[in-house]
Amino acid sequence: MNEPTLRYEKIDFLGEGQFATVYKARDVKTDKIVAVKKIKIGSRLEAQDGINRTALREIKLLQELEHINLIGLLDVFGQKSNVSLVFDFMDTDLEIIVKDSNIVLTPANVKAYMIMTLKGLEYLHQNWILHRDLKPNNLLINREGILKIGDFGLAKAFGSPTRINTHQVVTRWYRSPELLFGARQYGTGVDMWAVGCILAELLLRVPFLPGESDLDQLSRIFQVFGTPTEENWPGMKGLTDYVQFKLFPPQQLRHIFSAASDDLLQLLESLLALYPPNRCDCTQALQMPYFSNKPAPSVGSKLPMPSNISKIETEKPSLKRKLLDNIDGGSLAKRLQF
Amino acid sequence: MAGNFWQSSHHQQWILDKQDLIRDRQHDLNILTEEEYQKIFNFFASIIQILGEQLKLRQQVIATATVYFKRFYARNSLKCIDPLLLAPTCVFLASKVEEFGVISNSRLITTCQTVIKNKFSYAYGQQEFPYRTNHILECEFYLLENLDCCLIVYQPYRPLLLFVQDIGQDEQLLTYAWRIVNDSLRTDVSLLYPPYQIAIGALHIACVMLGKENLKPWFAELNVDMDKIQEIVRSIINLYEMWKSYDEKKEIQVLLGKMPKPKPAPQR
Repeated sequence: MNEPTLRYEKIDFLGEGQFATVYKARDVKTDKIVAVKKIKIGSRLEAQDGINRTALREIKLLQELEHINLIGLLDVFGQKSNVSLVFDFMDTDLEIIVKDSNIVLTPANVKAYMIMTLKGLEYLHQNWILHRDLKPNNLLINREGILKIGDFGLAKAFGSPTRINTHQVVTRWYRSPELLFGARQYGTGVDMWAVGCILAELLLRVPFLPGESDLDQLSRIFQVFGTPTEENWPGMKGLTDYVQFKLFPPQQLRHIFSAASDDLLQLLESLLALYPPNRCDCTQALQMPYFSNKPAPSVGSKLPMPSNISKIETEKPSLKRKLLDNIDGGSLAKRLQF
Repeated sequence: MAGNFWQSSHHQQWILDKQDLIRDRQHDLNILTEEEYQKIFNFFASIIQILGEQLKLRQQVIATATVYFKRFYARNSLKCIDPLLLAPTCVFLASKVEEFGVISNSRLITTCQTVIKNKFSYAYGQQEFPYRTNHILECEFYLLENLDCCLIVYQPYRPLLLFVQDIGQDEQLLTYAWRIVNDSLRTDVSLLYPPYQIAIGALHIACVMLGKENLKPWFAELNVDMDKIQEIVRSIINLYEMWKSYDEKKEIQVLLGKMPKPKPAPQR
C-alpha cells in the first residue's frame, strides 16, 4: 500500500458516475492491467460519514470471497480521504454483447454464459450472500471469455429470519415479483429471478420485461406468467405493497421463445416461477438436463467479443459506458438505498 | 456474515502466532510491563464497551470494534495513534461494517465527550475529549489500511449458542458463558484462537463456576485440541486474577501517563 499512486499507472479514463470515477491502469509491480475505482467523497454531508458505505460493502465482502466467476478485488488504497478499489480489468460485459447486432449468440454461447453466472452465484449463495443487483451489465467478461459477477455495492448477507431487508434493490427489469410487492424477507430467489430475466434476454436480444414503473413491471410479469392467486402464491396478499391485478392467463413460454429447446424452457420456467419457494436454486439449476444435454457450452476462447476488442492486445476502451452505468448502477435502486 | 470461517480472512490472516505477537509488541513492552500493557487494553476495552452501550449498539458490533482495536495494536505501537482516538474510530467503522444503521459523526463525538466526562473522569480528570470529526475520518482510513481491509470478524457468540443448544438449552450456563466471552475481549484470545475454541473455553469456565460435573462427558467427546482450550481458559482466568488485586480508578492515570504517545500531540 505504499505510494499507491506510483504503483498504478493511469492508462485511460473509463467513466464517471455518481459515486466513483473509474480508470484503466497498469499495475507497475505486476505489469497487469487493472481497473481502479476511485470513490468520490461526495457532498460535505456525505463526507461526514467517512468511508463510503457502498465501497465498504464491496471491500468487506470481496475480501472474503474468491471464485473464478466473481470479480477479484486486488487492492485497496487511500490518499487523503479518498478510497480507491483495484479490480481485475474486464474488457466488456453481457449487456454490450447482447446489444451488439454483429454478434451471433449460439445456443452453446448462451449455455456457457449461464454456467459461469450460476457457478459464481452458487458460490455467493453458499457463503450466505445475496447479490441483489444482477443484470447484464454487472456480468463482466474478459477477452479470455471468462464471465465474472461484478458490482457488490448492494450485496448483503442473508439468512437471519428476523432480519428486515429493503425491497428497493435490483434494477427494475430484473426485479422479482415479491420485491415488487414490497417483501422485506426474501432470499436467493431474488437473484434467481434476475438470472431468469438475463437468460430470456440472451435469447430475445432485448430486455424481456422492460417495465416503465413498478406497477407496469408487475403487469408485464403477469401478462406472461398469469396473475398469481392466493392458491398458487400463499401469503401474497399479505405483502406490504400488494395490489390486486387484472387476472391475466399464463402464456406458453414456447410461443415467446420459439427457437428455444425444451430443456432450456424447463430451466427458464424454473428460474421464473412466480411463487419464490418454487424457484430453483443455483445448484438445482446446474443439475438440470439443459446443462448436460448437447450442445456443449462454448469454451472461453470461442465466445464472441465486440469487434473493437480483439483477443490480442490492442487498446480500445469499450466499457466506458458500462462502467458509467455500473457506477450509477441500477441508479434508481441504489439512490433509494441511501 | 455467516460465510465460511475456514476460508475467511479472519482464519487465514488474523489468527496470530503468540511469539510473533510478543515480538511485535516489543517496543511498547520496553516501556510498559506486560501487566501494565494489559491494564491499558482493559481500560480501552471498557471505553469501547460503554461507548457502544451509550450508542445502543448490539454486542456483536461492540465485539467487532474491540477486535479491530486489538488487531491495530497487534501491529502498531501505542504511540502510532492515541488509543483514545482509535477506540471511537473502531466503533464507527464496526457499526458501518455490521450494517448497523447510521451513527452520525457528530453524535459519536458528542457521546465520546459525555462518556469521558461522566464515566471516565477518574482517568482524564477535567480534560475534555480532544478529538473532532476530521480526526475520526482520517483515523478511519488508517485503521482500514492496517486491518488489511479484513473487516469481517467472526465472534464466539454464534458457536456458543450452538454448543449450548447441543448441551440442552441451559439458560444459566449460557448467561455465564456469554459474559465470559465478553470478558475474553479484554485478553489476547481473539487474536490467537478461532472463535469456536474461545466459545468452548468460556463454556468450560462457566461449567467449573457452576459446578456442572455432569457435562464432563460432553467435553470429553469434543473433537477439539484441548491444549488450546486450556490456554484460552488460562488467559481468561489470569484476567480474573488480575482484576482481584487491581483498582483501575487509582492506577489508570499513572499508566496512561507512562503510555507511549504520538508526537507531536494532536492539536486542538
